[in-house]
Amino acid sequence: MELKELIVSMASLMTVTGYESHDSERLDELIGGFFDESTTDALGNRIFIKRCGRENAPKILVDAHLDEIGMIVTDIKENGFLTVTNVGGVDTRILQASDVVIYGKEKIFGVIGSTPPHLQKPSEAKSLRAIGELLIDTGYPKEELEKIVRIGTPVGFEVKYVDLANGKIAGKGFDDKACAACAAEGIRRAAREDLAGDVYLMLSSREETTAVAGAATGAYAIDPDYAFVFDVNLGTTPDVPKSESVEVGGGVSLTVCPITDRRLTRMTAELAEKRGLKYQISVSGSGTGTNTPSIHLTGAGIPCVDAGLPLKSMHTCAESLDMADAECAAELIAAFITSKEIAEVFKR
Amino acid sequence: MLELLRKVSSAHGVSGFEKKAAETIRGLIADYTDEQYTDTLGNLIAVKRGNGQGRKVMLCAHMDEIGFMVTFIEEKGQLCIAPVGGISFAASSYDRVMSEKGVRGLIVPRGGVKPADYSADKFYIDIGAKNRKEAEKKVKIGDVFRFEADVVRLCGKRVCGHPLDDRIGCAILIEIAKALANEKINDDIYYVFSVQEEVGLRGSKTAAYAIAPELSLAYDVTATGDVPGDTPMACSLGDGAAIKIKDNSVICDPTLVEELVDIAKKEKIKYQLEILTYGGTDTASMQMARAGSRACALSVPSRYIHSGNEMLDLDDAIACVDLTVAYIKSIN
Amino acid sequence: MTNCERIELLRELCLAFGPTGCEHRVASLIKDKLEALGYESYLDRVGNLIVHIPCENAPRVMISAHTDEVGFIISEITESGYLKFRVLGGIDPRVLCGKHVTVETKSGDFVAGVIASKAIHHQTAEERKAVTPIKSMYIDIGANKKEDAESVVELGGCATFDSKFVQFGHENAFIKSKAIDDRLGCAEMIYVLEKIKGQSIPLDLWFCFTVREEIGLSGAQTAAQSIRPDYSIVIESTAVADLPDVPENSRVAKLGEGGAISLRDRSTIYDRGFVRMALALAESKGIPAQLKRYVSGGNDAGHIHKSGSGVRALAISAPSRYIHSPACVVSKNDYLSMGELLYTIITNFNEEEIKNA
Repeated sequence: MELKELIVSMASLMTVTGYESHDSERLDELIGGFFDESTTDALGNRIFIKRCGRENAPKILVDAHLDEIGMIVTDIKENGFLTVTNVGGVDTRILQASDVVIYGKEKIFGVIGSTPPHLQKPSEAKSLRAIGELLIDTGYPKEELEKIVRIGTPVGFEVKYVDLANGKIAGKGFDDKACAACAAEGIRRAAREDLAGDVYLMLSSREETTAVAGAATGAYAIDPDYAFVFDVNLGTTPDVPKSESVEVGGGVSLTVCPITDRRLTRMTAELAEKRGLKYQISVSGSGTGTNTPSIHLTGAGIPCVDAGLPLKSMHTCAESLDMADAECAAELIAAFITSKEIAEVFKR
Repeated sequence: MLELLRKVSSAHGVSGFEKKAAETIRGLIADYTDEQYTDTLGNLIAVKRGNGQGRKVMLCAHMDEIGFMVTFIEEKGQLCIAPVGGISFAASSYDRVMSEKGVRGLIVPRGGVKPADYSADKFYIDIGAKNRKEAEKKVKIGDVFRFEADVVRLCGKRVCGHPLDDRIGCAILIEIAKALANEKINDDIYYVFSVQEEVGLRGSKTAAYAIAPELSLAYDVTATGDVPGDTPMACSLGDGAAIKIKDNSVICDPTLVEELVDIAKKEKIKYQLEILTYGGTDTASMQMARAGSRACALSVPSRYIHSGNEMLDLDDAIACVDLTVAYIKSIN
Repeated sequence: MTNCERIELLRELCLAFGPTGCEHRVASLIKDKLEALGYESYLDRVGNLIVHIPCENAPRVMISAHTDEVGFIISEITESGYLKFRVLGGIDPRVLCGKHVTVETKSGDFVAGVIASKAIHHQTAEERKAVTPIKSMYIDIGANKKEDAESVVELGGCATFDSKFVQFGHENAFIKSKAIDDRLGCAEMIYVLEKIKGQSIPLDLWFCFTVREEIGLSGAQTAAQSIRPDYSIVIESTAVADLPDVPENSRVAKLGEGGAISLRDRSTIYDRGFVRMALALAESKGIPAQLKRYVSGGNDAGHIHKSGSGVRALAISAPSRYIHSPACVVSKNDYLSMGELLYTIITNFNEEEIKNA
């Protein structure tokens, strides 16, 4: 399968935070074959392992989160309308007139309602409705809907992907399943005999909530020697400062900040240079908005490199990325897990 | 249930100062469990041992309550305070309060402060002292005050008073322990009465780390949407045990939610599903401990939370007990 | 036409590209459909597509629906290759962020784009709650820089929503699509044209597929000026709000209860006799219909009824939720029954009854 197809296939999975196991079988079909074994833990982290075949080998963790932002049903109203609340940082601005899928006993289609301009009062025109005030139109009578949906039923965005110019693609769920796909592909490309250790790909759960849960407990259980944390990074657009974003098409970003391991980051950058892979440096004065803060503080501490795939319009149904960056990422991950130099320095 | 709730509510237990509450609860649960101990942070843990082959199941309710800590004594004898936990000052003005040592007083806003501007530094506790000297005989800086404990019965099975958040959870745990005392259960059941929940889910975190449960259930109050003007929420007093799906700190294990719903349906125990769009519970810290545990919470719908006068329906609490007992039996 | 074929016709029309001022693709699609039915049609000088079924010394009836849809026009290509745009028609900025769009290229082809704006992570707390103004949004087609974009698209190029046509709800009773306003009206007219084919009807019939309704500068106006009808029937979609959070008195109409007949909107007071006749026919033939129960909106009738020496007007609209968004929702039964109602009105037209009301 081409990397692009893998990215789109994985991004199409329904993995709303807390409900990551919904399409677990499909996930296994897509990437299970790249690995020797896989497990699911109590929080829904999916852990895929590719063994190097040597005893006492270092454990290399590659983390990308599996969950995506979404919603859950909070109430069922007359005429089959649903109210919802967000799971993860859903951008409220994208919701009105969006197509959604309600994952009840069966999958049903819904539309998030909007007030047409003809029926708006001038006072309403300037404010955005809070997510709890929006209604999802299902087209079902209440009694029928109650047979399919209940409070807590997850709701995701309808799957839709398009090719943009210059090898870019747009759609939902690239955060962070595009990274998960690149990581799986990178690990697939690395020959077993070249692996610098046992490779654990953790597709972690529940990253998008305020309590970053999955990665912490997953990393605790794996207890790796060092980790490559891969998440999307905010792409530069005309309305955001360059210093707070990374260029889409500029290669994988490597974050330099107080919690990422400087030496590991430098060695990863050198790997990229050696292989002729584009990369860019992203800087933060505190932590990162990724799993790195939880993973690096697990147990006795885990050295982390925090890598990013540049992504525009993050947390919308029109996230866009450059396939050239994705290709770079898969190659960099293959290089990272086969780097004997890094293993030498960071193995416990 | 009402008598039990009164007993567990009577003991002082402002966050960080839960010793008296722990003693009281220990006395009430000792007969139904094999061992009881408190850990470094003060969590009370009572264990019913299984056959050594089973899971570790952690049931947790917090025994701490919101209150006030004295930070300074004014010349005229009033006590300046810092809040412990999320106090609703608008709701608590002129309420009676009592210190851990039994000193009584009123929590009052300073003169001329508008309700919109209410905050901790605009309030003081008046214990009726003539001046600083007299006050200092009764109170030291660092002493904690709680709202006066009192649980009264209203219409039907509804009660109001303080600190129902979360002594109702403590009472539920005791009732569960009582119901399971003579049952043959393979699992080890850990009844944890946690400390410092109101200041950030602190106690349950270390308790869960030490226990490393595979299955966790928290018991706490939750908000409702059943009085005029409430934030919309499909949760009402009297509609049964609220099985938590999500709050701001946690997304509960969806399969555990399903299992609880199935048991409730099968045993005809009244239940409702709860999504709280704010707030946090001990569920989060249990879920996150070590390599993680499957976690959920059963909540008692409660109005006027953190006002010093919560209101709830005892039948909902009894449903929580019944549901837990049925669930634990079903998995053993 | 079977019901299935009618749905298929609606799908094809809705998915056609035709933002206001750029309706020619829709017109030529309809022209093809009409040709297949054996009708000759012509484009007038502003782009209205017209079919005339003559009958001498008979009342002249103009039946119209508009071909245009709300959309976008490219107003600037930025240095970094993004497209700034203005809206064509009344689009609520709240339905734009993060939506997929189809952009017309210089060569008349299409490329995909998305409406982007800064990610939630970069928004301030106030921005998260505020409506993002259209001037802060841009269409991203994946261009790397200005020249790159300019090689594909041009200033003044148009765009529409890229949104699926979906049948959904209990027993698939609802349809969701872009451009239901007013391709649904076009579809009804095509259906009726098929149905009356070969029949001799004592009316001088003018079927007009009009342009530019959405910006209020209506193509229907010039059509009416040249046709000079006695009667006008406008087939439309109307915004309704039959939602739980809207008080019943302002819900306008209800999906599933038939075409909504207007008494009054913001541009027209409809002919009382015409309205009565339509309602009476619906009742006697058992075709669902309802009254529009709120004064809102406006349509081509606003221009038509004031043209020449005045025209008696009737408007039948499909109640539609979330109109002017990529996701308009209508009831399938309303769509199906409205065609029957229009057919019934044409074939049972009674001038006496209208005039004597």
